[in-house]
Amino acid sequence: MSYSRYEPPALKNSVDVQLQTAFNDGNWNTAVRLAEKRFKALKDPYYEVIKISAESQLDGTAEKCAVLVAIDKLVKGKTVPDFDTLSLYEWASDGLLHHSDYAQTLGTLRARWVKANPKNPNAVQCLQSCLEYWDLVNAQQIAATMDRAFPNSSDRKYMFWSITLTFLLSISPQCVEATRKLYSQLALKQLERAADITESSPKVEPTDRGLLTEQEFDLYYRVLLTHGTKDEFLRRMQSPRLGALAQLKEGRKNLFWETLGVLEGWGEWDRIFELCREALNLGIQGSTPTFFACDWQVWKKFAVAASKAKNDEAALSEVQGVLDKFVSIKDKATEMYKKNISLTLLETTFRLPTSTLSPNPDHKGSTPRVTQLILFLVNYFDKLSAFDDVKDYVAQLTFEEAKFFMENALPKMLGEEPERVKQVILKALQCKLQYLLTTCPQTLSNHPSVVDGVDQDKPYRCRFCSELASLPCEHCLKKIIVEASETYMEISADSELVGLIPRLDKDPRLDLALVMVNSLLKLGGLRQRGSDVAPSPLRDVDSSLFLQAVLLLDTQLKATPADMGLRLLLVQLYLLLGCVSYAHQIWAPMDVKRTIQDALGPLFFDRISSISPGLFLGGKPLMEPLRHHYSHSLHDACPLRIWDAFSSGSYSSILEMSDYDSKLRRSCTLMMTLVEERQATKCFGGKTELEIDDLPLAENIVDETTLVNKTDYGSFTNLESCHGPPIQDFVRLGPELSNERAHLGFLTEQYLDLLSFKAPKDYKPARPNEVALKERSYLTERLAHLNNSLTNFIHQAETPSRLTGAELTYYTIVSLLSGGLLTGLTTTRTDAVPQTLPLLTAAIRSAFAGLRTVFLTSSNGVSTPPTANIFASLTDMHTMALLRATALAIKHSAAFMLSVHEKELARDRSGKTALHKDILVEMKALDQLAGKALGEIKTHVQKLKTALGEGGWLDRVLEWTFGDEGGEDEVAKAVGEVVGGRGGAEEWAGKLLESWREGVKGWGTVRLE
Amino acid sequence: MANFRRFRPDDLNKLSKCNLDPLTETYELGFYLQYHAKWPSLFQVAEDQHGNIIGYIMGKLESSPDVYQFSEHYLPWHAHITAVTVAPEARRLGIGKLLSEQLEAAADENDAWFVDLFVRSTNHRAIAFYKSMGYSVFRVVKDYYGDHSSDPTQSSEDAFDMRKPTKRDVKREHIRDDGEKYEVDPTDVW
Ligand SMILES: CC(C)(COP(=O)(O)OP(=O)(O)OC[C@H]1O[C@@H](n2cnc3c(N)ncnc32)[C@H](O)[C@@H]1OP(=O)(O)O)[C@@H](O)C(=O)NCCC(=O)NCCS
Repeated sequence: MSYSRYEPPALKNSVDVQLQTAFNDGNWNTAVRLAEKRFKALKDPYYEVIKISAESQLDGTAEKCAVLVAIDKLVKGKTVPDFDTLSLYEWASDGLLHHSDYAQTLGTLRARWVKANPKNPNAVQCLQSCLEYWDLVNAQQIAATMDRAFPNSSDRKYMFWSITLTFLLSISPQCVEATRKLYSQLALKQLERAADITESSPKVEPTDRGLLTEQEFDLYYRVLLTHGTKDEFLRRMQSPRLGALAQLKEGRKNLFWETLGVLEGWGEWDRIFELCREALNLGIQGSTPTFFACDWQVWKKFAVAASKAKNDEAALSEVQGVLDKFVSIKDKATEMYKKNISLTLLETTFRLPTSTLSPNPDHKGSTPRVTQLILFLVNYFDKLSAFDDVKDYVAQLTFEEAKFFMENALPKMLGEEPERVKQVILKALQCKLQYLLTTCPQTLSNHPSVVDGVDQDKPYRCRFCSELASLPCEHCLKKIIVEASETYMEISADSELVGLIPRLDKDPRLDLALVMVNSLLKLGGLRQRGSDVAPSPLRDVDSSLFLQAVLLLDTQLKATPADMGLRLLLVQLYLLLGCVSYAHQIWAPMDVKRTIQDALGPLFFDRISSISPGLFLGGKPLMEPLRHHYSHSLHDACPLRIWDAFSSGSYSSILEMSDYDSKLRRSCTLMMTLVEERQATKCFGGKTELEIDDLPLAENIVDETTLVNKTDYGSFTNLESCHGPPIQDFVRLGPELSNERAHLGFLTEQYLDLLSFKAPKDYKPARPNEVALKERSYLTERLAHLNNSLTNFIHQAETPSRLTGAELTYYTIVSLLSGGLLTGLTTTRTDAVPQTLPLLTAAIRSAFAGLRTVFLTSSNGVSTPPTANIFASLTDMHTMALLRATALAIKHSAAFMLSVHEKELARDRSGKTALHKDILVEMKALDQLAGKALGEIKTHVQKLKTALGEGGWLDRVLEWTFGDEGGEDEVAKAVGEVVGGRGGAEEWAGKLLESWREGVKGWGTVRLE
Repeated sequence: MANFRRFRPDDLNKLSKCNLDPLTETYELGFYLQYHAKWPSLFQVAEDQHGNIIGYIMGKLESSPDVYQFSEHYLPWHAHITAVTVAPEARRLGIGKLLSEQLEAAADENDAWFVDLFVRSTNHRAIAFYKSMGYSVFRVVKDYYGDHSSDPTQSSEDAFDMRKPTKRDVKREHIRDDGEKYEVDPTDVW
């Protein structure tokens, strides 16, 4: 665009210097005056346009809005406006015209202008304007007009803009249902015609209307997949010009890549098999660069497809055949392709039917699968990704294979390794694999639940150590901890070895520490959280083992600060511990900023205001960078940088960017940001400037909007097997972000906003009665809507598994309160009280009592001098926070009802419109209950503060961590060795304490009314 | 364990393995999208078996703005590597090299004169990486970076402007043997 939306467009050259200057300098009053004068003198309507535009910059509402009136007049007038008028009005109405009104106003005018001037170069600017407001209806019209005006232009963009926009419109909510089919078919038919031209002509010239560039091909297939048939897609795939293989030969991989995904979605495995085979063969034949198709996905899909074939043995041997060809030229390949080939050897072996794997009769576990694993590891065991590369295969081994692998094959490999430094790398890998196997159910056998009439608490017997076990086997975990610790200490004691470590990709002690930490967490009883289990993640966990894990990781972080997997895990553990300020110190160096915040922000910020609102009290607004990311990236109605993609002819980018934009606007992280900030603000009595649903970022979110969670857990070091949940599910405070939770948070904030709404003090309506009636009907309407939405979300089958127990209670009570308020507002004194009301208040009472009990169970443990019971409280601020939030929601609902009642009494002294006495009584009773709980919270926070102020804390924390001095068990001893004993842990204990104190101090300033 | 393909915006939610590494800068969303919009085939990624991005390259094709046509610092039509990064766990497998080669091929296809890039003068690993692929220092841009990557007492750091000629530069006119000796100011580059 030749001018920015925020700078005025240049006036026509014919305008005199004086007016030009006033206008350009922003002297709006002068510009208005001069323009008016010129208009009177010259009778040129352009001057009136300048006047109106300059007026839009003045303060008065009437002056500002003149431009809207002028635009409206143009729209209704049906004449073709002047181009410069449009530019001026578009600039002048920015900020006054809501972007959703653009299509009906300026968009319509832009399209009208282009229809009258299809070949004018300014038509492109009209298209760009419509796109900036994401007005697809008029943009499509404009593009279609331009395409008709330049049907065989060598600038192919006109044709493809038109098709792209027709397609975008056909999948957009902006399209009216009646025309959706028409646009869908229009886009498809135009592209099919283009595809036919390409198919049948020996060479496509730029002026032809066939498909030429890769982007055009991509567009065709995207549209075909959306609006066309599967048969048509499969037919085109066979085409010698248009098919994926043909495109591969042209050096274009994208179609091939996408086709594999599409075929997989359809379950077309035979076709995948053929496509992969042919693509790989192209490399051997020299039709593409040799390793062009040697991506891991291609090999993997090839092998999977073979294993699904009717004759799987024959198909797998075909895979072997192709693989052999590549193995023979492997030396020419880049390391990465070599590795892909090695992994494929592994993959194909694991795809063979187990019946064909004739085991060695002497060693039942010595199968070709184990042999292949060892062959792979011999080449790759010292690489950083070795564990990740093999873990899924190891987890598939039968117990016999696993036993042979761990007890014969790996030790043999270790015995044959001459280099000391490589030996320890291998040992660390061995520890990781041993841990992995504890998460695999095939290593356990069922054990009767009753033996000799005695109930057995352990349901399994471990097939490795023969001990009774739960999942995982505690005995094995202990053994892993002890062995890892020994290896760790062996390394640290060997100065020569230590000297070699900086030259390695990774310090093997880091792996050993991680194995120990994971084992300690499991041994301590850490489980995946959902609302169906214990309310606080650490309540049933052995605090001593948990603390040992944290201490160990903290110690290791000092030695290897650059390891992000370790850092991320430690952040989660400190959040669980309630040491939020310390968690923040560890989080900050990761420098999660700008674009990656959407995916990584939740790893620190989710639920943060419920653990430590005090963190928001610092100088810099805590979540400002997140908010900035969204307001910056979503500022315009259109996807960011979309015009760049249009002007460059990047059609698939256009589709991808618009899809990404739509998801970013529906991001769970975005909603988390808004809700967390508001909650924290309210904790300290701060004012939220706008109601949450008036925030531009939340503007288009309605109940039907699916909010998407894109949290990236990719950097966690995950030692768990695919048989169970990944590590992040163990160490999170509760279930991850979800559509359900995001909506409940959003609706609850709307409800609270409604309760706190107060008309401005100077607002004195002329007809107070009429206004009051209107207000009440607005309130009931809003409440009915909120109650309906909240109830819907609460009752969705998945919802309980998306929330912590405390959250479930909170949102349930808020939804009940909204119902109660609605009943209260619609039942006047003379009506009968609906029967649902007592049921509703009873439900609130019982849910609230449940939450309070959970809170009291942990808070009762706080005594002076403190005992280990305080641990349960310090690590469960979340329950207290939600009890507080619930109590306040009750209190505010009661106060709101009472204020409506009093207002009505004041307005109509007869009391006819006042609320029902019984309902008010019920609300008051609830209010008292809530008040009592708030009092308990206040006392509790005070008690915590006093307890944390007591002396002897360092010893206390160390005792919780290691047990009585001298009485340490083998696990505590093993950990103690690595961390340098109690002495080495003192500084850490101090940090823990300091962070707890800081958190509680923050809670001390939180409002409880 | 790795796949090569064109970048798509959803990959921005999978960058942690690369971008949590301190030597890899994270940009505003518009920056990534601009490259995806304008030069989609020059923005390529490598992903692992779980869809995590373990490497990417962002590049562009351009020449200096016309107004600089007669400046001694004018750059003719060339490809520029804006960013290349490989996750620590996937280094030394040739991923960085494969990504760069793709960009070089695109530069040849588009008749560019050379491929160039800026690198911190203390990023020895990256410099070794580029040199191994035939890049050489063309000039030194003094105090190009407003901070120092390894020495917190310094407030700036020089950049090496490194280049590799493409097929078009048959006479090797666009590279220098002694580029380390040519110092320019940040205002001379764009
Ligand atoms: C620089 C970087 C991209 C290299 O990626 P990579 O995939 O590991 O590199 P490759 O495996 O393709 O290496 C190709 C060649 O470069 C050279 N090279 C790469 N890393 C090297 C290192 N650390 N030391 C010495 N030479 C190195 C080698 O000659 C190597 O070939 P070889 O392995 O056969 O000896 C990667 O280290 C990185 O992401 N660093 C952090 C981000 C960064 O600095 N980016 C550059 C900003 S301008």
